[in-house]
Amino acid sequence: MFIDIDCAQIKKHGQNAYGDYFVSKRSDNQERVLAVLSDGLGSGIKANILSCMTATMLIRFIEEDISIKKAAQIIMDSLPVCQIRKISYATFSAVDCRNDGNVWVVEEGNPSFVLMRDNEEMPLEGKEFTSPKFPDRHLMLYQFKAEVGDRLIFCSDGVTQAGIGTKDYPLGFQRKGLLKYLKETLSIKRNISSTELSKKVIEKALSVEENEHAGDDISCSVLYFRNPRKALIFTGPPYNRGKDREYCMSFSFFAGKKAICGGTTANMISRELKLEITNVDEQECGDLPPIAHMDGVDLVTEGILTLTKAAEYLEQKELNHKDAAGLLVNFLLESDIIEFMVGAMINQAHYDPALPIEIEVRRTVIKKIKTLLESEYFKQVSINYI
Amino acid sequence: MEKVKVKICEGTTCFVMGGQAVKSMISTLTEKYKDKIEISSVRCFGTCNKSDSFSKAPYVMVDDEQISSADLEKVIAVIERKLNNE
Repeated sequence: MFIDIDCAQIKKHGQNAYGDYFVSKRSDNQERVLAVLSDGLGSGIKANILSCMTATMLIRFIEEDISIKKAAQIIMDSLPVCQIRKISYATFSAVDCRNDGNVWVVEEGNPSFVLMRDNEEMPLEGKEFTSPKFPDRHLMLYQFKAEVGDRLIFCSDGVTQAGIGTKDYPLGFQRKGLLKYLKETLSIKRNISSTELSKKVIEKALSVEENEHAGDDISCSVLYFRNPRKALIFTGPPYNRGKDREYCMSFSFFAGKKAICGGTTANMISRELKLEITNVDEQECGDLPPIAHMDGVDLVTEGILTLTKAAEYLEQKELNHKDAAGLLVNFLLESDIIEFMVGAMINQAHYDPALPIEIEVRRTVIKKIKTLLESEYFKQVSINYI
Repeated sequence: MEKVKVKICEGTTCFVMGGQAVKSMISTLTEKYKDKIEISSVRCFGTCNKSDSFSKAPYVMVDDEQISSADLEKVIAVIERKLNNE
């Protein structure tokens, strides 16, 4: 099972820092996903510092193989108390998922998470633990087995309390508002990604606020357990020309989505697999060469310029471009397990000093894309040099 | 009369060396050559990768004639020559 995870946030109106903090980690062997959502007391910079400290400490504890209950208890028992409000400085939810479906969740103070299965809320029984040091602090611990298609939705109280005091939502959006919205959204788009669903939830919460001004920090994190979507990107001709056919055949037999980045690579695949390359008309090009079409291949683009631009879009989080690099970014983000087949053959013309721009080495760009996809977009990426 | 085929390389080197600009400039001349030429793009001719062809991108093919360091003037000259059967 692959765990698709993302979080979307909106700052409290008038603040310049997020008071909620979300952090997640995927283990190097890809078998475990950890995430923590913490809500700092108050808003702005102070809340940001409190939630950030709580979340990062907690995720580090869990990561170090301390049981999630023990880790959460340590944090719960050590969080200081606000002298004015007499409540703890931060609330939190933490989740530890294995790709065999085993899930542990702990919550302290945050709205209870939702497990959606077959578009229905699955009620779960948790165990409650009270802090020996602070009797008003209670920890909820849940353990269950997730199934393919399940979603976990974590929210800060900015979602459940959105719109509080308004005519339509005198008591706020509440859990029932959230559940209704989740059901509506999932019935329209069953395979919605975590990125899109979390964004939709916070936008909905904001829409019920008075004047659409967030009365509190609004955060929603979604974990979606699904079968992994695999993708293969072939870029650059292989070093050993004698193996062109072999690599083209393995590209052709790949079970998943396929992209080609490179004119010479596309020509080689076209030649070896006897597939015609046709131009795609009326496409938004921007500063990049246009895409082409080849039967059985999901995307065909130019190579290094497009890859360099795609790395830039991924880095800047510019995900709405419609040029070839934007399409490549979409292709990558719609996949979970991504493999690059990188040909080591060098086109010396790319290093001609007469070229008006500097062209980066393909390997460097691919490595940069890999790092960005792993660290910022939680993808599983491998590179195979050929 | 058979159209003159103009193929513009859209490989990386040709693209950054001005191939795209040549393409869009020729495309603006469609009124004059509307029924006489057919413009298309090619992924990569692979010409720039030959050691004797460095620094000569962009490449454009007009029928069977390859133009190196192509610009609008050179391409139009070849198109005119082909149209006049010279």
